[in-house]
Amino acid sequence: MNADPLHVHGQPATTSRRGLVIGLAMGVPIIAYGIRGVLIDASDTHPGELARWVVGVAVVHDALLAPIALVTAWGLSRVVPAFAWPAVRAGLLTTVVLCLVAWPLLRGYGQDPSIPSLLSRDYGTGLAAALGAVWLTVAVWAAIARQRS
Amino acid sequence: MPSARQAADVYESPLHETRSAAWLGLGLGATFGLCFFTGLWSHLAQDPPSWFTYPARPAGLYRITQGVHVASGMAAIPLLLAKLWVVHPRLVEWPPVRSVLHAAERLALLPLVGGGLFMLLSGAANVARWYPWSFFFPRAHFWTAWITIGALVVHVGAKAAATRDALHRAPTLPDAVKAAPDDRRAFLGGVAAASGALVVATIGGTVSVLSPVSVLAQRRPGVGPQRVPVNKSAAGARVLDRARDPAYRLVVEGAVRRRLELSVDDLREMPQQSSELPIACVEGWSTSARWRGVQVRRLMVMAGAAESAEATVESLQPSGRYRQSQLNAGQIADADTLLALELNDERLHIDHGYPVRLIGPNRPGVLQTKWVSRLIVR
Repeated sequence: MNADPLHVHGQPATTSRRGLVIGLAMGVPIIAYGIRGVLIDASDTHPGELARWVVGVAVVHDALLAPIALVTAWGLSRVVPAFAWPAVRAGLLTTVVLCLVAWPLLRGYGQDPSIPSLLSRDYGTGLAAALGAVWLTVAVWAAIARQRS
Repeated sequence: MPSARQAADVYESPLHETRSAAWLGLGLGATFGLCFFTGLWSHLAQDPPSWFTYPARPAGLYRITQGVHVASGMAAIPLLLAKLWVVHPRLVEWPPVRSVLHAAERLALLPLVGGGLFMLLSGAANVARWYPWSFFFPRAHFWTAWITIGALVVHVGAKAAATRDALHRAPTLPDAVKAAPDDRRAFLGGVAAASGALVVATIGGTVSVLSPVSVLAQRRPGVGPQRVPVNKSAAGARVLDRARDPAYRLVVEGAVRRRLELSVDDLREMPQQSSELPIACVEGWSTSARWRGVQVRRLMVMAGAAESAEATVESLQPSGRYRQSQLNAGQIADADTLLALELNDERLHIDHGYPVRLIGPNRPGVLQTKWVSRLIVR
């Protein structure tokens, strides 16, 4: 690890001390107001479960999903030709976010047989079509980049 | 062959740099800001504090604010994932804590990152009507928004100077790692494209021209009974029998000079008003429709209610958080605030609130109370 306090993995420190003090003075009361609201409305917000979700998504993201993304991007950037990499990287990100949002729709968690107008699309076909369009765009982008390089 | 050290350095990309973080930070500030203020607006509509009078006009405002709320939340998903990827090296910086201030800054990152991810995840799940938790989504989403925005204020304070500097043509702060401008442009352009794709894929529930390509939209405008989507069915609300009961009467009571009890036929014989009004859901779908029925203000006059009177609109629904809604004096006075009997030139479908439903301008869909049984005037 880098012991230089000003440089973290080659990056300089970016925190302004004065700005941080002002930010804490303004932001902490807002955070406190939110926490107070969670506790006052405890019968609706279920503070323990809510806290597990908020901390849980941060931990799952930072300790699991982000490392997977970092390693995947790092690995693929060595395999994919350099001219195509920016296009492929954008395609991967778009694929991930489309799949994330599509997941509960595909699973049909929110279906209600008494409301046919709700979640009324064929989300599998829709997602496939969207991903097809995304990767077609990636191919065109990469082809243009290759011509230019 | 890369050396062992290189092989292990997953942070080698020069995109883990201040300038990319600054641009993504600006995008997140804009999208989270939009989400926060449009979310507050919806809260004011649904739960107005005593010092605030929610306006009846413009009629389409709520549909726009909630369309923006959901679209900017969707747009923020790729921005947040990309931002966290860019700054991930700082998560493992060493030493982890250098001073009390530094500890406070890092501690505030937990509500910022956890809160930000939770806001987007819970919002997207709500749009998909998926509730993998036991808390009441609107309350949890609302209060966590304050916590997240508070943490964002701390973060913006800490990083404003560096962000401003990094966005200058020639940054003055030392920038040991720096991406090539073309690299950065391609990266940020790709993130923006992902945001755009996600918005287009989901916004069709409210922007009907995009509906054919909105393959992940929860709704299709024009699909539903009488070409209008439904959020709660009569069966789901357990009102089927009561709504069809011939003994049904609309009651107007409370602070009135004459208590009214009106049958559906009585209501039909009254002067009818036709209004083109959107029904707009907080989940980001909306549809404009033609409603026809009796003006609420006409009923209030008939009952001899005061001009400054307000009213609670109550449904036949035996239970549920949304079985009643409030009308303030301004909403009652509006010519387009109706107890509707018809939708798109047909007798109201039971899933749209037959025999009578409330419809008014600039109101959240959940407050357009269906199967109305009583107006309680105060």
